[in-house]
Amino acid sequence: MKPGVDPEPRGRRHFLRGGARLMALTGLAGVAGRLAPRTSAQTSVWQIDPLKCVHCSNCATECVLKQSAVKCVHAFAMCGYCELCTGYFEPEPNALTTAAENQLCPTNAIKRTYVEDPYYEYEIDEALCIGCAKCVEGCSRFGNGSMFLQIRHDRCLNCNECAIARSCPAEAISRVPVGHPYRLKTGGH
Amino acid sequence: MSDVPTPHSRRQFFGKLAQGAVAFGAAPGAVFSATNPFAYDVSRFGRTDPAMIGWEEISRRTTPLPEARRIAIGAGNIVHVAAGSEIVRWKTDGALPSLKAGAMVTCLALPRDELVFAGLRDRIVSFDTEGRARVIWQAENDGSWFSGLAVSEHDIWIADSGLRVIWHCDRAGKVLGRVGQKDRERDRAGLVVPSPFLDVRLHPDGLLRVNNPGRHRVEAYTPEGDLEFTWGKPTAAVPGFCGCCNPIALAILPDGRIVTAEKGLPRVKVYASDGTFESVVAGTETFAENVRRCGNASDCTRGGLDVAVDSEGRIHILDRVTGEVRVMRPKARA
Repeated sequence: MKPGVDPEPRGRRHFLRGGARLMALTGLAGVAGRLAPRTSAQTSVWQIDPLKCVHCSNCATECVLKQSAVKCVHAFAMCGYCELCTGYFEPEPNALTTAAENQLCPTNAIKRTYVEDPYYEYEIDEALCIGCAKCVEGCSRFGNGSMFLQIRHDRCLNCNECAIARSCPAEAISRVPVGHPYRLKTGGH
Repeated sequence: MSDVPTPHSRRQFFGKLAQGAVAFGAAPGAVFSATNPFAYDVSRFGRTDPAMIGWEEISRRTTPLPEARRIAIGAGNIVHVAAGSEIVRWKTDGALPSLKAGAMVTCLALPRDELVFAGLRDRIVSFDTEGRARVIWQAENDGSWFSGLAVSEHDIWIADSGLRVIWHCDRAGKVLGRVGQKDRERDRAGLVVPSPFLDVRLHPDGLLRVNNPGRHRVEAYTPEGDLEFTWGKPTAAVPGFCGCCNPIALAILPDGRIVTAEKGLPRVKVYASDGTFESVVAGTETFAENVRRCGNASDCTRGGLDVAVDSEGRIHILDRVTGEVRVMRPKARA
């Protein structure tokens, strides 16, 4: 199956189920509780289509927030758990260690954990992630694209006119129904 | 529709101006990386030392159908390219009727008996000389994704990148064994396959050659599945295999040397059968559109290259992004 995004608008039950899945995906707890009151009066929110995203880094610099509401999301179900993760390591690292000079992320927002030989898990620390997409391009260029950007609705102000959407060269950001606020990659092998 | 132009605010004007500048910067080349402080820059690996290039292009042809995925060369040096659900065929003096598989063809093998074997994600079919297809084997597991195929006089080896194993069957489809699977008792992690690129070839020395992309190496197995030796190392430098998971495809020259293809930094190289690097067939700079597409796409599973070898030792390179097939021959020595 080729990678894709979930195309169908969903009901409340699906939304809650999708939200739970996202929390499991990213390890972020408490999103749903904070999201519910904010979205109750809105019909749509901004979101990135990961299949259109070209990893230009504008998301890191164009958001009106001091730290962008755009974060890297990691689809563990798609991830290859690579020992040499090109989303984590510089293109030609000195060694496959967590030493700072080997890491691609400018803010040290990716945590690398040994699972079993030769597999490692990569988890995004959203408090540190600035949405620069450097890891996304590394993962997409060489791997299967399990790292991708999403606008996190516990942070997004849902501006009438999204500054990031305006500057997106790929027109990858659009409004989606509030009941379906994320565009998660669902592609398998 | 009104002819009155839509009024734009000052903010929108500057926004569009910035958008245009970024779009211009996204074009292939160094402009983008020079202006983006967060650029993922692999441009320094995009040029190959000319002294390492030992092959030259003698012809090029574009596959007439989209979604070209695999290439194989049959008797009479007839080129077969799996494109979508068809197998397109041609020889030097013209095209031949294509074979209709009815589903996406994910791998190909052309044994000496002139049958055509094809993998259709989770089943193997063979085409007789009249183009009639017959299902030989259907996978029992939903996770199967057949991505490589090797066929001998009596046996078939099917590279299943979904289940990370090489199935060993007879020609009637009876499973005889599994190659490269995880084995805790023998402390073997098995094949590490993050994306649908697992290939298998039968070498003239009687051993199988399998790419283990997550380990950045080529592995030699007995037909029964015992690991004999491996070679290859992870590095973006030319002698090794780049990225998280390469090489993605293999071919074997008539003298036993091994041809490898990579994605991310698309390039084709030749190694001696023991893994000693010999030469570059085509460097990353040869495949600009392939580089660009993988850089901007949401993943590179539709990118990369495939390779096949004809009876005269020429290497045919399929660019999976453009559908072009380049025919390469060794450069004449000075």
